[in-house]
Amino acid sequence: MARARTVLPDPSYEELFTRARNRLPGSQLPELAELRRQAWRRVCEIGLPTSRVEEWKYTSILGRVQKALPLLEATAPPLEQLKAAFAGGVEARRLIFVNGRLVPELSHTGGLPDGMAITSLERLAARQPERLAALTRPAEEEGSAFAWLNAAFWTSGAVVELAAGVRPQAPLQLLFFQDAREQAGMTHPRLVVRLGPGARLHLIESHLGEGEAGQWVNLVGAVELGEGAELVHEVMQAPPQSATLLARSRIQLAAGARLVRNIASLGGGLVRNETEVHLCGSGAEALLNGLYMPMEREHVDQFVRVHHEQPGCHSDQFFKGIVGGKARAVFAGRIMVYRDAQKTNAYQANNNLLLSDEAEVDTKPELEIFADDVKCSHGATVGALDPSALFYLRARGLPQAVAESLLTYAFAGEVLERVVDPHLRGQMARRVLDRVPGGGALEAEGLV
Amino acid sequence: MSSAIETVREVTGGEYKWGFTTPVEEETAPPGLNEDIIRMISKKKGEPDWLTAWRLEAYRRWQAMEEPKWAKVHYPPIDFQAISYFAAPKQKERPKSLDDIDPEIRRTYEKLGIPIREQEILAGVAVDYVFDSVSVATTFKQKLEELGIIFCSISEAVRDHPELVRKYLGTVVPPGDNFYAALNSAVFTDGSFVYVPKGVRCPMELSTYFRINAAGTGQFERTLIIADEGSYVSYLEGCTAPMRDENQLHAAVVELIALDEAEIKYSTVQNWYPGDKDGKGGIYNFVTKRGLCKGRRSKISWTQVETGSAITWKYPSCILQGEESVGEFYSVAVTNNHQQADTGTKMVHIGKRTRSRIVSKGIAAGRSNNTYRGLVKIMRGAEGARNYTQCDSLLIGDRCGAHTVPYIEVRNRSAVAEHEATTSKISDDQLFYCRSRGISEEDAVALIVNGFCREVMDELPMEFAVEARKLLGISLEGSVG
Repeated sequence: MARARTVLPDPSYEELFTRARNRLPGSQLPELAELRRQAWRRVCEIGLPTSRVEEWKYTSILGRVQKALPLLEATAPPLEQLKAAFAGGVEARRLIFVNGRLVPELSHTGGLPDGMAITSLERLAARQPERLAALTRPAEEEGSAFAWLNAAFWTSGAVVELAAGVRPQAPLQLLFFQDAREQAGMTHPRLVVRLGPGARLHLIESHLGEGEAGQWVNLVGAVELGEGAELVHEVMQAPPQSATLLARSRIQLAAGARLVRNIASLGGGLVRNETEVHLCGSGAEALLNGLYMPMEREHVDQFVRVHHEQPGCHSDQFFKGIVGGKARAVFAGRIMVYRDAQKTNAYQANNNLLLSDEAEVDTKPELEIFADDVKCSHGATVGALDPSALFYLRARGLPQAVAESLLTYAFAGEVLERVVDPHLRGQMARRVLDRVPGGGALEAEGLV
Repeated sequence: MSSAIETVREVTGGEYKWGFTTPVEEETAPPGLNEDIIRMISKKKGEPDWLTAWRLEAYRRWQAMEEPKWAKVHYPPIDFQAISYFAAPKQKERPKSLDDIDPEIRRTYEKLGIPIREQEILAGVAVDYVFDSVSVATTFKQKLEELGIIFCSISEAVRDHPELVRKYLGTVVPPGDNFYAALNSAVFTDGSFVYVPKGVRCPMELSTYFRINAAGTGQFERTLIIADEGSYVSYLEGCTAPMRDENQLHAAVVELIALDEAEIKYSTVQNWYPGDKDGKGGIYNFVTKRGLCKGRRSKISWTQVETGSAITWKYPSCILQGEESVGEFYSVAVTNNHQQADTGTKMVHIGKRTRSRIVSKGIAAGRSNNTYRGLVKIMRGAEGARNYTQCDSLLIGDRCGAHTVPYIEVRNRSAVAEHEATTSKISDDQLFYCRSRGISEEDAVALIVNGFCREVMDELPMEFAVEARKLLGISLEGSVG
């Protein structure tokens, strides 16, 4: 008998669902209550993945999520830590979620231009409940149990909508803070972003937290870009080591739309980013940049799918990893070119640096191509620092250790320099320096 | 080298030229598989008890296994009970000399362009011919024996050199390795066996020619090559099959073992019947090939030109166990019409400073799907290991698919693994350049494809290049079938 590839969620989920479903936002609405029940059934049908599921070959998540954790209420977060994570400049609008619940008194969404609306799912539940089902329903073909789990258990989320041609100057920051100082918990936040034709938005997303009690965040994002719309989406993930962060985004681009997504995973016991980009209109463009730096026993998994569905689209993936300690980094990127997607131009690069003999990198860059007039290529490397570059620096008087630190930092720098918001870039650089062995010495010597 | 051009021409336009059957009296087992059939095969071949037991053990394992489903190929379920697991040309006794071979069989090989005698003299290639499941002739045996090289069918090896067979059989591909390897271990009927003793450099290319002839049968051959310390051998393998509406199963196992400083070069031109234009018929080629670089500084090199088969499921691999051992994989896979190929390699780096190189060229035309699937695994102890992988795909027409699925797993910081892949079509610029210099469109395409494959074609041994051209060239028109 073959071993099962997926397993049923622990009964604790079912218990929690039965207990909590009348208190979840929108529970008074039959349609939404039914959607949550249906979502829960789908979770049970699909089952939670073991490493025998191909997409989860290198990442075993079961041990961390098999049992349900309580859905916590917001607590008072350490304000200094929050403030240190503010990005986007003084003009930036900000939504702050603590334990997956929006904290309006810390958030700032005033003075938005006409045609731009920022709200939360729980606010919608009170004011426009009829919209909730449409905003939280996963696509019918959705095969991820976690996406359905989110649909069953969400307690909060952000809805950002821009009408045609609206181009706010100020960035919008979403800040997710998990408080695991006293109690373990899980949250299933949801992010809905809709940009009308020609609209433009700079979205910053930060994940952080405090405490070692254990937190599981199961974020699901649904992003739709209208014709010619442009989204710059920058994500910094720096939760504590006890945290499990699963972030699944489905991004759909109409003709001529443009997506820039910069994502840095710089913390967390287990972080998995599932990015699914659908280029649904000709001339759409997606630039995905990623940096991940798992250390000690951390585990980062970058799972990327780019669907070239229409002709003449362009996509570029650029992911770099630095792996130390006993950490493990996984990259699984796939470019899919559909039969009609002629004149596709797609590129994918994944470069990894191993800092320790106990670290591991597993990379799986895939191409799946059904059109002939295309240019698709990818490159993947795993290795150590270039000895000739080290020699160059040593010949100029840098000690071996400093030269190594500098080159390691520079390796990450190639991704950092693509980050648009200078505040966020600074925070990322700070975090990278803390993780580069000898990073402190680099600063002390004034080399960075 | 023009064989690349011809290969492509052949698969993109030409008809299958080797689709004839030979009216040889065949001895076949009734369809189906059970322990009695296995005992019958074993008994017919006069095998020792340990081998019968080994087969039965493999069969029991196979029964508990599931067919692999992960490859990017689609086919209706195979009824393993409808296949006959043994087909042999009927002969009273083993031929004393080549002249004793059934003239029909000799004619078959002549049709294929490899007259047994002529080939051996002209090309100086020692050939073992496997007709359906049974080896029919081995040439040049005497000369090889003088050097201590054993080159014979595996049945003969079981009889004459049981200690070698027993020592190495199943050590690289264990009977329970995978579904098809287990099936092969249970029912394999023949194949080639090579042993090159210490310090001997095999003076000629060794070659096996495989042909499936009988209907309703599968072919399950097993090849075992052992290169003892400091030896060298180059081995060539070719295959064809008749045209039939049904799908026939070919599930071979090849095991290579290279001891200290030994080198094995294994080249394949696979040209099983690919099915007709509508995808009817053709061979299912589900093959397990693996080499073990057991000794230090040993080397195993796989070169394959895959043009045939309705479905190819094949991953010639190298286990780089010895320090500083080297593994290579060069592949051209061409698919057309409804062919599906899921092929690639595995390089497992265990020893220190092991090196591997993978060059894969996939060409997809018609409605075919061509997948490269490979694994590069660098284990914790493989200090200073090095891998370079390049896989390029070329698409001809807009109904085909080309896919690349590499897995790279690295657990040693001093190791370096590099992977590069591209997918493209023949660019209009390249075509225009050639055409403006008076080269016809057809020749220009051939020229460009030739350049695309060159890195791999150059790896084919000279003798084989001649045969490959013979096999694949359009010049064969009218000379066979």
